Amino acid sequence: MIHDAQMDYYGTRLATCSSDRSVKIFDVRNGGQILIADLRGHEGPVWQVAWAHPMYGNILASCSYDRKVIIWKEENGTWEKTHEHTGHDSSVNSVCWAPHDYGLILACGSSDGAISLLTYTGEGQWEVKKINNAHTIGCNAVSWAPAVVPGSLIDQPSGQKPNYIKKFASGGCDNLIKLWKEEEDGQWKEEQKLEAHSDWVRDVAWAPSIGLPTSTIASCSQDGRVFIWTCDDVSSNTWSPKLLHKFNDVVWHVSWSITANILAVSGGDNKEKLHMQQPDRQP
Amino acid sequence: MEELDGEPTVTLIPGVNSKKKQMCFDWGPGEMLVCETTFNKKENSETVPGCPFIYIIRKDIDVYSQILRKLFNESHGIFVGLQRIEEELTGKSRKAQLVRVSKNYRSVIRACMEEMHQAAVAAKDPASGRQFSSQVSILSAMELIWNLCEILFIEVAPAGPLLLHLLDWVRLHVCEVDSLLADVLGSENPSKHESFWNLPGNTQTLTELELKWQHWHEECERHLQDGTFASSPHLECLCKIMLGDEAALLEQKELLNNWYHFLVTRLLYSHPTVKPIDLHFYAQSSLDLFLGGESSPEPLDNILMAAFEFDIHQVIKECSIALSNWWFVAHLTDLLDHCKLLQSHNLYFGSNMREFLLLEYASGLFAHHSLWQLGVDYFDYCPELGRVSLELHIERIPLSTEQKALKVLRICEQRQMTEQVRSICKILAMKAVRNNRLGSALSWSIRAKDAAFATLVSDRFLRDYCERGCFSDLDLIDNLGPAMMLSDRLTFLGKYREFHRFYGEKRFFDAASLLLSLMTSQIAPRCFWVTLLTDALPLLEQKQVIFTTEQTYELMRCLEDLASGRPVQGEASAQRLQEDLENTKLEILRLALARNLARAIIKEGSLEGS
Repeated sequence: MIHDAQMDYYGTRLATCSSDRSVKIFDVRNGGQILIADLRGHEGPVWQVAWAHPMYGNILASCSYDRKVIIWKEENGTWEKTHEHTGHDSSVNSVCWAPHDYGLILACGSSDGAISLLTYTGEGQWEVKKINNAHTIGCNAVSWAPAVVPGSLIDQPSGQKPNYIKKFASGGCDNLIKLWKEEEDGQWKEEQKLEAHSDWVRDVAWAPSIGLPTSTIASCSQDGRVFIWTCDDVSSNTWSPKLLHKFNDVVWHVSWSITANILAVSGGDNKEKLHMQQPDRQP
Repeated sequence: MEELDGEPTVTLIPGVNSKKKQMCFDWGPGEMLVCETTFNKKENSETVPGCPFIYIIRKDIDVYSQILRKLFNESHGIFVGLQRIEEELTGKSRKAQLVRVSKNYRSVIRACMEEMHQAAVAAKDPASGRQFSSQVSILSAMELIWNLCEILFIEVAPAGPLLLHLLDWVRLHVCEVDSLLADVLGSENPSKHESFWNLPGNTQTLTELELKWQHWHEECERHLQDGTFASSPHLECLCKIMLGDEAALLEQKELLNNWYHFLVTRLLYSHPTVKPIDLHFYAQSSLDLFLGGESSPEPLDNILMAAFEFDIHQVIKECSIALSNWWFVAHLTDLLDHCKLLQSHNLYFGSNMREFLLLEYASGLFAHHSLWQLGVDYFDYCPELGRVSLELHIERIPLSTEQKALKVLRICEQRQMTEQVRSICKILAMKAVRNNRLGSALSWSIRAKDAAFATLVSDRFLRDYCERGCFSDLDLIDNLGPAMMLSDRLTFLGKYREFHRFYGEKRFFDAASLLLSLMTSQIAPRCFWVTLLTDALPLLEQKQVIFTTEQTYELMRCLEDLASGRPVQGEASAQRLQEDLENTKLEILRLALARNLARAIIKEGSLEGS
């Protein structure tokens, strides 16, 4: 049973993961499908895969019921395990790479309620930061906010690192969506709680930035609802939810197209729905 | 979010039993992935799937059609041309120019249609032949609609000439029909009428024309009443038709291919001076009469009807739903927007309709490996979201060849998309490193202004040198120029190479000072000091004394620093340095330095010239 399938940045490769504990990578250029790699390393069903930005090379992360997160890398034409993270006490449900501007950072959400952040520091080393008890009972989804340089958007002189404010959203079994922000000391702090769901939050997806000051997050839940949260002004930090739709069954997955104009929603009623979302100013 | 005003189309994924299984999906850059799964995360999930396939769903398949590609290419030229002359479109000539643009678009559609038709005829198998033929019908319908829009919205034909235009329109699109009656319905009368209307340079007013026509019409009626044609039922029928008798016209239904042919004919004989605002009334009744309650209107009929009602937005909306790609509505809407017809309307989509359609069309082009370049221009002319859409799409273009990468970069640089430039250069640098093309990697990291990567590549260069004793990509390193300053390691690399050049050119004193400065200025990585000191040996062994006493003392200090294994933060461990600096080497260096010191002291202590 395939649990997740993800295209790489260019749509040339496909990574899939399955309950047979494998992660497979295919070359899908020109309509073909050639199996490039069959990666084994997990000891349980693999729930999700995520491609890192191509500027870091060909890197793929996978997370599994076996409580592990594995990072795979292609070196000299072959795929190998480059790192294994075992810091969780139960199933890791979701992995998401941060915007490439922040470096190579992976967020992982687990059923033990914790979220861990792995940062690549060079020479094969990864630094781990853990947020314990991010969500009681468990965390089901993590999603990064797009990178936006605060203040002026003028090109920074070379060599200087712009002051990004790193944020991500997480959804959990406490029916909440939480927004996390990295403080100056490098610690992660809960910035906001978004409450609207009446059952476990199954997925959150932060919409790609289209240059407007508005931020948008989509969330879906066991309660069958899909909400669109918008924040019109970063400084005010007030988020208002709008019910997109109430389905008759659990909604498992939400995902934005790359220009954020379509939201795809996968519901328990086994239909895939595409919603046109416009950056409109309507309430 | 507003409610949809129609049920969205359901696309079934073959092989997936939607009643039993769930689907997971993901967005690719231009497509969607869908596969069967189960979302309930339990350990013993079913290991045998009902459908083992993953489906890639694309919505812009027309991009891949060879023949349509010409349509996209040529219409792109017309589109860009229209945007560029916008400022020059003024006054009376404006309308004429816009009509000309419209006709250009139509001729492109017709050319494509013709080619598609040829393909249909030449098709090897019936299936593809049918496919081509259906494409021809679609293109034909598109041209039909566009032509009507041109007449009604762009040309804005006033009462009088309106009918003539409609006649042309019908004639152009109706297949050949042969019979006496058909001639009457078709070619004969219009020519009669042309002289009647006496265009261009029409000196008669509309009222005069109407009067004339009324007069003629009454005469015809009188003939009919008098039974002038009683002997010939044919002629009688003919007369009735010329009087615009609907029943008579309908009797000839087979010759009238469709309701709009019927409409125009009817108008010709009963209301030749029909005003645009009355048009929809006749159109509706023509449609109803023609269909006679037997069949219901097709999508094309609805579109044409909306046009006759001058409801532009309805036309666009219906076309969007009926057609498989955004080409038609995007270009037509853009043209109508230039005609200033789209402004004050409460749009369904909330934002600019023209821009929305252009963005959708352009996004579709990006799915294609070469047509994406056309898409760039479309994004350029979308003031609100064009730039950001371009930024998001252009990063996703696979950089399969250097040529393509350079093309993409040029486009980004022209638009000051520095973030994208940087990102792409980084990707290319990484790719080059992985393929061991260090020179390429270095130039990409310089272009990306990526200090960290430049350091990495420089390290590799230096490592290569240590292993092989020579540099690769000398040209590049020699001509770094100010880019050398990007990273310390890179500066060192450049300067080190310069040292070698000095030595090669026998500029020993320059070489010596440079070598020393490299060590004392902390630019040289500690692990490289051994190599540097070893490089100093030939200079120390020269007949003439090159290093001064001062310099020699410095070198000795460096050597002892190294030998004592004093660790420096961030550098390789002292252990390794010790191992590098084997005793023999150490001794050789110490000896050479001591000898040089001796000679230097003597030289400096002696008088000049001795």
